[in-house]
Amino acid sequence: MNGPVKKILGLILGVGALCILPFCHLEGLSPAGHITLGIFVFAAIFWITEPIPIYVTSLSVIFFQVLLLSDQSLFLGTLTRLSDGEYVAPKYQNFYATLAHPILILFLGGFSLAKAAEKFALDRNLTRILLKPFGSSPTRVALGVMLVTGILSAFMSNTATTAMMMTVALPIVAKVPAGDPFRRLVALSIPVGANIGGIATPIGTPPNAVAIAALTKQGTPVPFSTWMMIATPLVVLALVISWVGMCKMFPPKLERFELTIEGQFKKSPRAFALYIIFALTVGLWVTEKIHHIPSAVIAFLPMVLLPAFGILDKQDIRSHAWEVLWLVAGGISLGISLKSTGLAEWMIGQVSWDVFSPFMLILLFALVGFAVGNLISHTVSATILVPIAIAMLAPDIEAGPAAMIIPIAVIGIIVSFAMILPISTPPNAIALSTGLIETKDLAKAGWLVGAVGIILTLLFGLFVWPILL
Amino acid sequence: MSNIVIVCVEDEPDVLDAVIREVEPLEDLFVVEAAENSAEARQLLETIRSRGDEIGVIFCDHIMPGETGVDFLISLQQEEHWRSTRKVLLTGQAGLDATVKAVNQAELAHYIAKPWEANEVLEVARRELAFYLKARDINPLPYLRHLEVSLIEDLMRKHLSADR
Repeated sequence: MNGPVKKILGLILGVGALCILPFCHLEGLSPAGHITLGIFVFAAIFWITEPIPIYVTSLSVIFFQVLLLSDQSLFLGTLTRLSDGEYVAPKYQNFYATLAHPILILFLGGFSLAKAAEKFALDRNLTRILLKPFGSSPTRVALGVMLVTGILSAFMSNTATTAMMMTVALPIVAKVPAGDPFRRLVALSIPVGANIGGIATPIGTPPNAVAIAALTKQGTPVPFSTWMMIATPLVVLALVISWVGMCKMFPPKLERFELTIEGQFKKSPRAFALYIIFALTVGLWVTEKIHHIPSAVIAFLPMVLLPAFGILDKQDIRSHAWEVLWLVAGGISLGISLKSTGLAEWMIGQVSWDVFSPFMLILLFALVGFAVGNLISHTVSATILVPIAIAMLAPDIEAGPAAMIIPIAVIGIIVSFAMILPISTPPNAIALSTGLIETKDLAKAGWLVGAVGIILTLLFGLFVWPILL
Repeated sequence: MSNIVIVCVEDEPDVLDAVIREVEPLEDLFVVEAAENSAEARQLLETIRSRGDEIGVIFCDHIMPGETGVDFLISLQQEEHWRSTRKVLLTGQAGLDATVKAVNQAELAHYIAKPWEANEVLEVARRELAFYLKARDINPLPYLRHLEVSLIEDLMRKHLSADR
């Protein structure tokens, strides 16, 4: 289906769902639940078909919730009457507050650090230092590029990391003879490293935020260090296995390759202040388990200190990817109504999922999440699938936090492994535009990464996480 | 999206061919057009303008029948529409006066002396196109394969889409 047709169809179906579903009579669903269902289906269709940008759909979700379901609802009287006073409309501030949800504040802290690192070439200099130990064997250089991209993208956005690594590596790799698969190996190592690396920390990539916000809402908050504990070993293993596979797919012909990057750490007082603030923030984040200060509280430290020391200015603050935060906020806001209107509970009761074992369900979600994640935004994939998964796996909530965290983390993580198509992730698009690789190279690496990701995540979910959590 | 055009103006067919051959590798992303003198070039410019396309870089000979290359480039510079177009003089015969005039009045971006080194035109085209994208604040991503990334790093950052 081509673009305009898809958009028009999405527009009609989405608006149709929003207008019709609230007036349907579904057995056992409250009137407010009908409205929420309408908003949910509208959002899902709009997020998938994109008649408007995905973050605008998120904002409209919040707006519709305020207009239809909050204490400022245009139909508050009708709603109260129809539900015999059972529906307690949340304050409209609650919906707006999702725009400053703690997980998004955590992201803002990450944005601030990343922006400052970029401004003072800390990202580039770290790359230079970290790549050195990998020597000059071509396959090892590729491993270095992949791991370093992964490490940086755990703290910076996947897209920004890819762009930085490309500017560092491209001029050097372009000197390799055109027929040598090594060019493709390195050009692919960067998006692969960036997409996988984002999984490693809560701030690495937005789908993590979706999973963590949903878990927090279910009463199982996931500290920064806990997420890293479950995700980082998985990331390292996935990177190394993908590297082995990719070296087989694109075996380098040349014998030696020097990837030397020029540069020097900046030594101005501001640069030093940045290094300290950076180390302090990350240090406090990873030790959350010890001092129990929530990571979102710590996130304000760089937000305050970086501008205070003149390391960031208002131009930098304006250039944050605010729309990413709004995109996530729409999903979090939707979660409020899913719960408060009883739609989530109603969904659980609809289908008898007992025929599937919990493992089969998780496997199903993993495969669907991977498939969808290749076609649409990773964040949106997680946003749509996570509430459905919570509804379906609800009976297991009683079984303790691990039973709750594992399926949701599986979904949140697996969407990040979806990188078969150029449109799957922005890093893919950047890698492709360098002209060093073709769509089919990306697809080959994407299938490999996908298979590695799905299998490893499920194995970790089954055998490793239950021990750790 | 409008196309970005590379224009070559040169009266000697052999030289014109050589210039076009050099920029050929860019043809998958840019449009290459040629004219044999400034009058013909003016017509070409009008066609390009009416198509809604823009000219990234123009390579122009100096001594041609009719108007000289330098005068032609100066007249382009005076038109708002072609002001950010990168202007390259490709000649062996422009004297100091004409060249100075071109620098001062046409904001000449580059001077290539005939005969040029192999790939010199291509290299200059690549670099000037990068500067053009910068001047016009155009997202460089679609053109990345033909650009030197070190020149457009900031531009790339600015136009970067966020994670989604």
